[in-house]
Amino acid sequence: MRRFLSRKLITYLIAFVIGVTVDWGIPRLIPGDPVQAYLSQFSLQPAGYDALYKTMSEAFGTNGSAWDQYMHYWQSILTWNMGVSIGNFPARVTTLVGQALPYTLALLIPAIVLSYILGNRLGAAAARRKGLDNSVLPLGYVFQAMPYPWLALIIPYLLAVVWHVFPLSGGYSNSLLPTWSWTFIGSLLTHWFLPFLTVFLVSLGGWAIGMRNLVIYELENDSSRYLRALGARERVIRRYAYRNASLPQLSGLALQLGVVVGGNIVTEIAFQYPGLGKLLYTAIGNKDYFLLQGIFIFIIIGVLIANFIIDLVFISIDPRTRLSMQGAPA
Amino acid sequence: MPTRKMTGRWRPAKLAAMTAAGLLTLATAAACSSSGTSSSGGSSPAATGASSAPAGGAITSFPRNETLYTSGTLYGAPSTWNPYNLGNYTTGAQGLIYEPLFLYDPSKGDLKPWLAESGTWDAANKVYTIKVRDNVKWSNGQPLTGADVAWSINSASTNAANPYNSNAAGAQAAASGNTVTVTFKSTPNYAAWDSYLWKAPVVSQAEFSKVPATQIATFADTKPVGTGPMTLLTYNATETAYQVKPDWWGSSAMGLNFKFKYLVDVVNGSNNVELGALTSGQVDWSNNFLPNINQLINGIGGYGFKTYYPNAPYMMPANTAWLEFNNTKAPFNNVNFRKAMAYAIDPQHIVNNVYGGLVQAANPTGLLPNLSKYIDQGVVSQYGFKYDPAKAKSFLAQSGYKGQQITLQVPNGWTDWMAAINTLAQDLKAVGINVQTVTPEYPQRTTNLTTGNYDMAIDNNANLDSTPWTYFQRVYNLPIQSQQTAQLNWERTNSPADWALVQRAGATPTSDTASLKATYGQLEKDFLQQLPMIPVWYNAAWFQGSTQHWTNYPSSGTANDAIPSLWRGYIGALTSIYALANLSPAPKAS
Amino acid sequence: MSLADTLQEPGAPIPGAPATPVATPRPRRNDFFYYGLRNKKLVFGLGLELLLVILAIVGPMISPHNTSDYFKLNAGPSGGNWLGTDFQGHDVFAQLVNGLRESYLVGALGAVSAAVVGMVLGFIAGWRGGILDEILQLLTNVIVMIPSLVLLVVVGAYLNTRSVLFEGVFIGLTTWPWVARAVRAQTFSLRSREFVDLAKLSGKRPTSIVIRDIAPNMASYLFLVVILLFGSSMLLAASYDFLGLGPSGVVSLGGMMQNANLNSALFFKEWWWFFPPGLVLTAMVASLLVANVGLDEVFNPKLRES
Repeated sequence: MRRFLSRKLITYLIAFVIGVTVDWGIPRLIPGDPVQAYLSQFSLQPAGYDALYKTMSEAFGTNGSAWDQYMHYWQSILTWNMGVSIGNFPARVTTLVGQALPYTLALLIPAIVLSYILGNRLGAAAARRKGLDNSVLPLGYVFQAMPYPWLALIIPYLLAVVWHVFPLSGGYSNSLLPTWSWTFIGSLLTHWFLPFLTVFLVSLGGWAIGMRNLVIYELENDSSRYLRALGARERVIRRYAYRNASLPQLSGLALQLGVVVGGNIVTEIAFQYPGLGKLLYTAIGNKDYFLLQGIFIFIIIGVLIANFIIDLVFISIDPRTRLSMQGAPA
Repeated sequence: MPTRKMTGRWRPAKLAAMTAAGLLTLATAAACSSSGTSSSGGSSPAATGASSAPAGGAITSFPRNETLYTSGTLYGAPSTWNPYNLGNYTTGAQGLIYEPLFLYDPSKGDLKPWLAESGTWDAANKVYTIKVRDNVKWSNGQPLTGADVAWSINSASTNAANPYNSNAAGAQAAASGNTVTVTFKSTPNYAAWDSYLWKAPVVSQAEFSKVPATQIATFADTKPVGTGPMTLLTYNATETAYQVKPDWWGSSAMGLNFKFKYLVDVVNGSNNVELGALTSGQVDWSNNFLPNINQLINGIGGYGFKTYYPNAPYMMPANTAWLEFNNTKAPFNNVNFRKAMAYAIDPQHIVNNVYGGLVQAANPTGLLPNLSKYIDQGVVSQYGFKYDPAKAKSFLAQSGYKGQQITLQVPNGWTDWMAAINTLAQDLKAVGINVQTVTPEYPQRTTNLTTGNYDMAIDNNANLDSTPWTYFQRVYNLPIQSQQTAQLNWERTNSPADWALVQRAGATPTSDTASLKATYGQLEKDFLQQLPMIPVWYNAAWFQGSTQHWTNYPSSGTANDAIPSLWRGYIGALTSIYALANLSPAPKAS
Repeated sequence: MSLADTLQEPGAPIPGAPATPVATPRPRRNDFFYYGLRNKKLVFGLGLELLLVILAIVGPMISPHNTSDYFKLNAGPSGGNWLGTDFQGHDVFAQLVNGLRESYLVGALGAVSAAVVGMVLGFIAGWRGGILDEILQLLTNVIVMIPSLVLLVVVGAYLNTRSVLFEGVFIGLTTWPWVARAVRAQTFSLRSREFVDLAKLSGKRPTSIVIRDIAPNMASYLFLVVILLFGSSMLLAASYDFLGLGPSGVVSLGGMMQNANLNSALFFKEWWWFFPPGLVLTAMVASLLVANVGLDEVFNPKLRES
């Protein structure tokens, strides 16, 4: 077990180093000079330009030799200093991410977890009942096949523009200041609902179909046949099939939660929801490669942690994985 | 991974319930703590940090009848109120907090005294004397003095990192009480100095002398101390709130009284969102480009939106969009080729099909209408160009152009310009010019243009100004460097004679309008004969106001014709503050 | 979890496909057609898909207008403009059929490039194992870790124009890892089977063993994978286009939705502008998914409805 963990940790460490290195390269690899583009808004004479250019380069750590810059970057990362945004200069990346992250988490985690639970239930039920299958399966496919951008236009069109049931966009009403009041929480909730619904619906189809197919596979495989031959009750067989089918679904869930940190960019854009996806999009739009670089680090950390958790979950619930990890023949 | 047995127990439902309950709390907490709070007017800076209570009382929401909602300038979270950070300062930093010495009124073409009560040149036009207004106070309670004004001017003239460095070149200011004497070492550039007077902020010497000189344009100013009509109340990722200062000097001196108590500027959303917010009354004043807004104005469709002109083009021209090319390269180094393009382009295609009639075609000189007194109509009618494909083809035939492909670029994601180059390419192809449109990213495009590594591009970097000087400096500035970082002469036209004319215009006192008109007339003639770049259309200072909660929006041609724009370089420079003060509450809907 | 999401995290199982690639014996050709033609899902899915493909091929020819023609702005559907016009006065139907064509092209490019890269790397890693395998695992982890959107922005910054080819291949090159993982696992288990040992003994070269003996045993699975990749590439492309990161100067379904969103189509209730492109795309992908389940049942006799 310890050997397995240390081996895994080393792998993740290498991946992290590669990730940080790639990330370091982003603003440096991109053609065109972001600082120059930024300063072009100032209409400066050459002397002033040089002075400002120097100040900005220091702020972004793009002065000095490449090796110094690289070392400096590692030092910043390890001290939790993700740098400065150029589109919102001189705002710090950690500040901007800190403002956006809660919205993204509050939007995506419930949407993913609830769709996971309901989708799995629906899928398992569909695998059991022919009648249900005939409605769940086609509906599931339609939801799964819907492009996010489309759903993110249709839902607000119907529920916010045609029928004014929910607000069209934003994180909360402009007329409120964020405070601990029921009015504010109510405003948060009504603004949260439509983007939540979009993510929830699109995810639901995938989970349901995945579960349905996995359960059908499990019900038809040799172990189920064996159980049946032994005279086990169908309910028992189904329970086993459901459990076995949950494992791949579970790893899918963990991966989904891992990339939550990147936000759901399309939904957040369509609803102008002030989460990380919107921040990322703004960074792309402003050509804010330094902010992009900062968000990237958060995503890397999120994905690596999620992958690590999957590994841990798998060895704790699946003995065979544990065996194989310890070096025994699978 | 086939699994036969699973012993682990996984209860997702329970976990989910716990997570969901926790997350809402998280979101609320974060929204509360992530908002910045700033000191309120008149008092010493309040303690900030973890405290989530906004200064200035326990405000949790803005009363609708006391609040003006604006939008249109900010594309990201507000982060600084440093008026020298021309790329990023938050909407209102200049204008609502910091103020200039004068305001420029484009409709009348004159400078209105603002923080300066008056400004006069001596007889030799070498010394400029500013009388600073009495009884003006900084928001920290200290009085505005001549020393503050002198410090601001000297910072501009001596600190290369100050973005107004070239405007105040050679100036040396000394204060005596509220009188500031600005002495120029050599002949001043009168045009650039005029621009300084209404563009540059007056800052507090006590506050700004603490900032290292090299960081004057980049340091984060989040507790601004200004003389302006408002103070920064609070801000977060989606909005900035200002509170009207009851003891602002302009109330008594100018008779300007705001009927609202709060001004909340909302970070831009998509057009859907902006229009939705305007129609539902969540935003009153928008400076966004909203396509088709002309379908909703003056009561059409039941919406009482107001624009600056009641009819086409609806919006005030703000800058000139040129078709720009590298004049040092073939085929652009041939004047016949440049003329062929000028005659091949129909700006109406862009006006109607890209902007839906919200903009207007540019004057052939490219000078904005506010400078029309400097446009020599005789020159324009004699040398101007207009859409005429037949003439374009005949020029093209004399140009030696062999049909080689040329590229036309705009930054990726600038959707209106991307549509515009498509129609331009169609027009040019129609006369036989082989144009390929490309859309590099903005930084790449800027590098391409500053280094001259491009064929053709759309560009608009000569903004609205009180003098044609800036425009012609933009066109003819010499010398040409390998990197034209100063945003001047990106088309790389090399005409020493014209550059000498531009310098002569700069050295002519503003009062000598006769010589100025003669010099600019000559420049216009040269421009139209040589066409170093082709003016196509005027980008507009977008504005639409909703009359649900506030009325009396400014309108061109009426007494209330202040410029309704909160853009950087507009508010706190043009007459926008009058437009804000003139708003009155809408009569209650019956 | 949507299909497009799945591809953004290449480790996730493909919903709708066997999470465990089950190597099934190749069905005999006659069997295939016998069961195939009797499988309602397959017939329905393929039928609908075929109709849409025909529309994509002949649509631009039968459309009375070009995408660059100008008409009245923001007009609703009429006899002249079957699906109305957009904010610049362009015909929506013309855009729709051209966008349809572009979607299929991107989908095909994405599917083929992901399948090729994924299979080659998967076979190599599975067959050779050892250090090569470790490197592949690391590469997969890194690709999983790097958000493809950020990568697209960085790579896109080098291009003056983004072509359909670029978008398709980019999608393929960021979605191959899960194909590679699955193929690797399959190859791993197949290479110790008797028939492979026999092939080795007979002195066949490894490449030829992989191509002749191993790949055919996964053929049905690989085929399903390509179909799913095809659908998800189209969805992913629509998202990229919607965010303005798609091909420049090309009419696409996602681009139509982007324009509609940017230019207040919701507000002006110009449903004809954003409703049809999404509907068509949904139909394109859904019919692929349905056909895929049908195929799965045909290939895998255990799943057939009795």
